[in-house]
Amino acid sequence: MEKVLEVKGLSKQYTKVLAANKVTFDIGKGEIFALIGPNGAGKTTTIRMISTLLIPTDGDAVVNGYSVNKEPEKVRQCITYLPDEAGAYKNMTGEKYLRFMAGLFSTDIDTINGYVDRAKEMCGLGDRLKDKIGSYSRGMIRKLLLSRAVMTKPALAILDEPTSGLDVLNAIEIRKMIKKLAAEEGMSFLISSHNMLEIEFVSDRVGIISKGKLHVTGTADELKKRYNAANLEEVFERVVNGNEIL
Amino acid sequence: MKFFNLLKKELAELLNMQTIISLVVAMGLLMIMGNVMTNTIEEAVEQEYKITLCDRDKTEFTADMIEKLRSYGSKVDEVTDDSEDYAQLLENAEKDCLIIIPEGFSEAVEKGESPEIISIARMKSAAMMSNITNTNSGAETLINRCVSEVFAANAGLTPEDMQLIDAPVEVVSHTVVSTESAEVSSDMVMSKVMMQNMILPIIVFVLIMMTSQGLMSGISNEKIDKTLETLLSAPVSRTAVLGSKMLAATIVAMLQAVCFMFGFSSMMSGATQDATAGIANTAAAQIMPVDEALEKLGLSLSAGDYVLVGIQLFLTIMICLSLSLILGSLVSDAKQTQTMIMPLMFGAMIPYMISMLADINTLPIAVRIFVYAIPFTHTFSAIPNLMFGNTTIFFIGLAYQVVVFGVCMFFALRLFKSDKMLTVSLNFGQKSRYKKSAKKEKSE
Repeated sequence: MEKVLEVKGLSKQYTKVLAANKVTFDIGKGEIFALIGPNGAGKTTTIRMISTLLIPTDGDAVVNGYSVNKEPEKVRQCITYLPDEAGAYKNMTGEKYLRFMAGLFSTDIDTINGYVDRAKEMCGLGDRLKDKIGSYSRGMIRKLLLSRAVMTKPALAILDEPTSGLDVLNAIEIRKMIKKLAAEEGMSFLISSHNMLEIEFVSDRVGIISKGKLHVTGTADELKKRYNAANLEEVFERVVNGNEIL
Repeated sequence: MKFFNLLKKELAELLNMQTIISLVVAMGLLMIMGNVMTNTIEEAVEQEYKITLCDRDKTEFTADMIEKLRSYGSKVDEVTDDSEDYAQLLENAEKDCLIIIPEGFSEAVEKGESPEIISIARMKSAAMMSNITNTNSGAETLINRCVSEVFAANAGLTPEDMQLIDAPVEVVSHTVVSTESAEVSSDMVMSKVMMQNMILPIIVFVLIMMTSQGLMSGISNEKIDKTLETLLSAPVSRTAVLGSKMLAATIVAMLQAVCFMFGFSSMMSGATQDATAGIANTAAAQIMPVDEALEKLGLSLSAGDYVLVGIQLFLTIMICLSLSLILGSLVSDAKQTQTMIMPLMFGAMIPYMISMLADINTLPIAVRIFVYAIPFTHTFSAIPNLMFGNTTIFFIGLAYQVVVFGVCMFFALRLFKSDKMLTVSLNFGQKSRYKKSAKKEKSE
């Protein structure tokens, strides 16, 4: 399978804390990879390094053939990043926000219009896109940001807690959308979530990270089998607790 | 194209309806204040020629005196009231000030004694401008003049003799600046120079406050709302993100400075119009007009001087922007934004206040070093330094500002291009979460 992301021994050392310790995994084209772990495990640090926001202290990540260390600008052309609890510019209308973000990915007006139309269709906010974002609910902002993250058809979409703040029905809709984009458009996803049900439903492969170290990767079924667990939640508990004891 | 997209967004963020309304309101208020001052001063000038008299002496002499007051150009209103309750007296006369010529006034003049008048003025409030029109000073001067003339006539003196007694010495004033001198009073030069120099410090102060606030809130809001991460992960260079923020903050600050300059000019012209007229009148009597004297003394700024002041103003804005960028990056919540603006606020306020009250070059050496170490000081003192030929201090200041800007911009760019932008924050005494977790791990 063609690899869209190759993470090779990625590490991030802060003054006293090793937030990510030689994290290694890869994501194929059209694959959905979920990174799960307890709070402070190093998920967001790893994601931020792949998004070129943080500079790795060791190792590298290659996105579509471009190194985050050597060619961060080119990496940014291939990815989109949706941070956890991200906001949007409250004084802008939803539509203006989409147009502004599309303008950062292309200078061609037709391409920009294409991106905006696609996002408008995917977010399903209808006429509310003409209202200021300051008047949106948390769920509406999340839908707007998600549509922004996929409107440019990036090679790799990095979504930190994609369905946080969404109600059950909207969350299901988003998960279906992610699966559809991966299957039909070959878009790859790196997802981080605390919701094991969501991970089991949406992801092709899972990586469990704890204390900055990626302990295990595999499909949900493989992991359940390996850890003799009924569900992914039990796998998570055993991996994390096992490493806590060690 | 991407840069303009960013710039458009930054301008829209900074120049929202709230900013525009507050700017228009501030400008309107300053203009209203200017109008109020103009009206009050005009009223005060008019009041100088309005006299309300209550003649209780009622003699031929007082009648002649009232006619004489009218011949001086005064509008004399006469009231008849015997009340000793002065408040009631003003109330009945519907006036705020009044002069009573008591019985025995003419008799005292005839005897060559000092006659008495009763001056009553109503005080309405403690405000500086509120009582400016409630004064009898003009009337008192004119009555004194009338009585003096009577005394002079009785003593066989002519009006020319009286003039000589009033001002026996003719003062020929010369003002010296550096090596130049001009035949003009230093008070007049000072008034003119002060009026010229009043606007620039206000603009500099407004610019520093507005640019720093604009950029700092621009960056801190992006950090707090987590929009910065989205923006920095987009395919646009960090220099473009940074440049658009700085340019937008500068444009908005310039716009605000122009509005404030317009408002302040309007207010100051209201407050100083009669003072200027007064100076012009006095100047007419002088041998040399003030403007000509300023030029002779080297106090008139040339086009080149204005260019130099402009360069220094530009450097000040750039220093302010780079410092705001660094301080804004350290902010992690809205409360901290207000705290972080304080160093810049004091950095602008200290030289602003000092330059208004004193000549920095005459301060004790330690204070002078401290004040000149604040880079904004050099802009506040730019015009006086150029006017009074302190060009060495001016150019040292300019060079210092270039160095400070270079250092600040270097650190600002390093910060913005590194990942510290997202990880660094001030805790103000609180231990960082990393330190906390490290300590917890150690104890376990």
